[in-house]
Amino acid sequence: MSTEFVFATAQYESGDWDSAPLVPPNIIDTIARYTEIAVAPTGVIVALSDDRMLRYPLLFLTGHLPVRFTEAERRNVRRFVERGGMLFVDDHNHDIDGTFHKTATEEITRSVGPLVELPNDHQLYTAFFKFDGPPTTSHELNGWGDNLVHRHLLAVMRGGRIAVLYSSKDYSSEWNYHPDSKRFLSVDNTRFAVNIVVYALSA
Amino acid sequence: MNVFVELRAARLTLAAGVMVRALVWGASAALTVVAGAAAVDVATPLSLDVRSRVLGVAIAAGMATFVALGWRDRSVLSARRVALWVEEQFPSLEYALVTAVESGEPRFVQGTSTDRWLVVARRRVARALRTPSAAFAVAVIVLVVLPSGAVARVRSPHAGDSLERRPASRSGRRNRLAPLVAELAPPAYSGQRASTIDEPSDVRALVGTRVTIRGRGDGASVVAIAGPDTLRATTTADRWTVSLAVGTHPLAVRFRDEANARIVALEPIADDAPTVTLVTPPHDSVLRAATGRIALTADAGDDIGLASGAFEYIVSSGEGETFTFRSGTIGATRLAGKTASLTASIRLDSLALKPGDILHLRAVARDGNTVTGPGIGTSETRAIRIARPDEYDSLAVDAAAPSDAEKGAISERMLIMLAEALERQRPRLTRDTLLRESHGIAVDQKKLRRTVGDIVFTRLGGNPSAEESTNDENPQRAKSIAELLQRADSATNRSIDPMDFRGDESPVVAVNKPLLEAYNAMWDASLSLELGEPDRALPHMRRALAAIQRARQAERLYLHGAPPRVVIDLDKARLKGKDKGSSSVRRALTVSDSADNARADRFARIIELAARDPGAAADSLLLLRIDALTGAPAFAAALGDAAQAMRAGKGDVATAALARARRALAGVPVVHDSLGRWGIVP
Repeated sequence: MSTEFVFATAQYESGDWDSAPLVPPNIIDTIARYTEIAVAPTGVIVALSDDRMLRYPLLFLTGHLPVRFTEAERRNVRRFVERGGMLFVDDHNHDIDGTFHKTATEEITRSVGPLVELPNDHQLYTAFFKFDGPPTTSHELNGWGDNLVHRHLLAVMRGGRIAVLYSSKDYSSEWNYHPDSKRFLSVDNTRFAVNIVVYALSA
Repeated sequence: MNVFVELRAARLTLAAGVMVRALVWGASAALTVVAGAAAVDVATPLSLDVRSRVLGVAIAAGMATFVALGWRDRSVLSARRVALWVEEQFPSLEYALVTAVESGEPRFVQGTSTDRWLVVARRRVARALRTPSAAFAVAVIVLVVLPSGAVARVRSPHAGDSLERRPASRSGRRNRLAPLVAELAPPAYSGQRASTIDEPSDVRALVGTRVTIRGRGDGASVVAIAGPDTLRATTTADRWTVSLAVGTHPLAVRFRDEANARIVALEPIADDAPTVTLVTPPHDSVLRAATGRIALTADAGDDIGLASGAFEYIVSSGEGETFTFRSGTIGATRLAGKTASLTASIRLDSLALKPGDILHLRAVARDGNTVTGPGIGTSETRAIRIARPDEYDSLAVDAAAPSDAEKGAISERMLIMLAEALERQRPRLTRDTLLRESHGIAVDQKKLRRTVGDIVFTRLGGNPSAEESTNDENPQRAKSIAELLQRADSATNRSIDPMDFRGDESPVVAVNKPLLEAYNAMWDASLSLELGEPDRALPHMRRALAAIQRARQAERLYLHGAPPRVVIDLDKARLKGKDKGSSSVRRALTVSDSADNARADRFARIIELAARDPGAAADSLLLLRIDALTGAPAFAAALGDAAQAMRAGKGDVATAALARARRALAGVPVVHDSLGRWGIVP
């Protein structure tokens, strides 16, 4: 059995789950750059309705369209969280009142539990790099979407740890570029992904 | 007086006596059962179930006694037996009366005095009624002497009458926490009736139910600690009362009164959200045009009762990064009962759907929960997509200038046409002319072959014309595609075995394989052309053309939906050679059954406590049950049974329940179908 971390993207039936195909390789590249975590060079795509989704400690879910889980998807998400997995949901619409936000938060609440604001001094923000809260994305500041800077991420807590991390900050757009293009950035904007992965693997 | 008339009067007197005596004995038996049960109930309280059956048992005992005695003395109905009884009382008759009765002839007893027959019969009846009357009187006296309320608990038992029972001991009379009665008033929306529980220890009730706990005596010193709240009892007419509502979480209410304490667990029953099934449309679909009407049907059900239902739709328009959404509700209707059907229809024309739009449909039902709800149940979502005009081709073909391969295909087709024309003219040409013309075509074929070779080697990372420029007639040329690929591979150091590819893992091989086929076919064609044999060259030339066509298709067709595959070079990302240090302190994930372990520890401590203080252990079991209700319901159920049994002093029942709890805590044993790897016997 492989002990290396495999970045898994969640595939669900109702929406465009593959809207940010370059996020997984970008995060894998970031993990390799900054940590010694044994990481697989490619990510995997796993259907939420497939029991194999339970093999991965962290699942990344994004999209623009309404999120309506099937009963099998809902059941597996519940099992995944109960087994200690962490689901990272990011709204690719970079807005707060859009349909993805409404439907995804409704499904999460129904499947796992209510989302609460994650305090900005939570362990997640110091799990590897130190942040004072969720890093701002360029999409929050460019006049698109709701034109808001979201001060907090949302989370469903289980046993003192984050079971579901929900972001309206559109990291899916922020991180959706080829890893080779990181050299053009003065500050790597994917560093927060390291915190998410390290937290999911260790907390 | 007629002898027979006198005999009949005596018989009726005796029969009435028998009936009355059986009746009195039956009543005495019934009253004795009631009095006995009431006396036992005074000493040790009988359950409502037992008391409910006492009255039936008493009536049955009375009836049985009455019937048995009546049956035993049924001979009183016989005139001959009564005559014998009269003969026994008056021996002077010397069987004359019996003879007269048997023969029906009154002459045998003519002149016999009958004056005292009836008197003797009445005396006998009075004597026979003496004992049962005494027994009846004793039973009545016992019933009267018993404490007030004791007989009423047996005569008309009902839930909540434990407060009417007077404890036998003085200490019991001083304890205001025993007995207790809980009256449950469910929330109005549920339509459920109120109920009463005697001696509650674990109250299961719908969330929002008003629970009123009642006890006996002055409640000035009685307090109930419910979580962070401390409630004081109110006293009315020698009864104290504490009232609280069932919340969404289990709660242990601790009652205290001077030196006495008691725990009552409130276990909420959640009102489940309705379940909704969308019947039509039965599956997702793609429509060519957004016209017409879609019928919507759904079935809804709820554990308490439905209140309303509707269909919801969302229309998502756009693609890529730009999406807009519209939503709405149709077919809203009020529902009643536990199950209902929803029907509606939606006109696609009214939604002004455009090609590419997606219509998401689902059914929603709400229950009448006014306490924690309303509970909202939703069905699966159906997606109806309006097709785009350009999506009927499953493959997208990008318009572009002809590629090198396409230019080669045109040239190869021209060469084939030249070769076919030469073959047609062949009978009219001399040998020298045929060789000259054929050789010219062969030269063009070689040029074209060199162009194809350049394309292949360029793609493989080699030098263009590296092979051809050295010696066009090299006998060491590749004899097969595999050999050529191996040479190409060795020149570019790409992999060990370029032919060992799987599926579409190597796009370089996939694209170049047909070109390499063309490359070799052109070689064979040029050889035949140089020998002046265009007829033998043509099959090779056509094979080359077909291979080029395949290469062209392979280059121009792109499947939709496959995200770019980026494989991270981990060594490169890690700048291989840097100082290896632990970049993060990692801790193992907490084992998922830590909650079970905590429960097991508490359970073990309670078992130890049970030997010393069963009452405290029962309370601890109740508290553990409250904590385990959500995470381990089977374990919690067994704990509840154990606590009740311990309080009732039923050791064997408690032991069985505790064993069941321990098994529930240990989980389902893992069964292996076969020996594992380490268990294989050689």
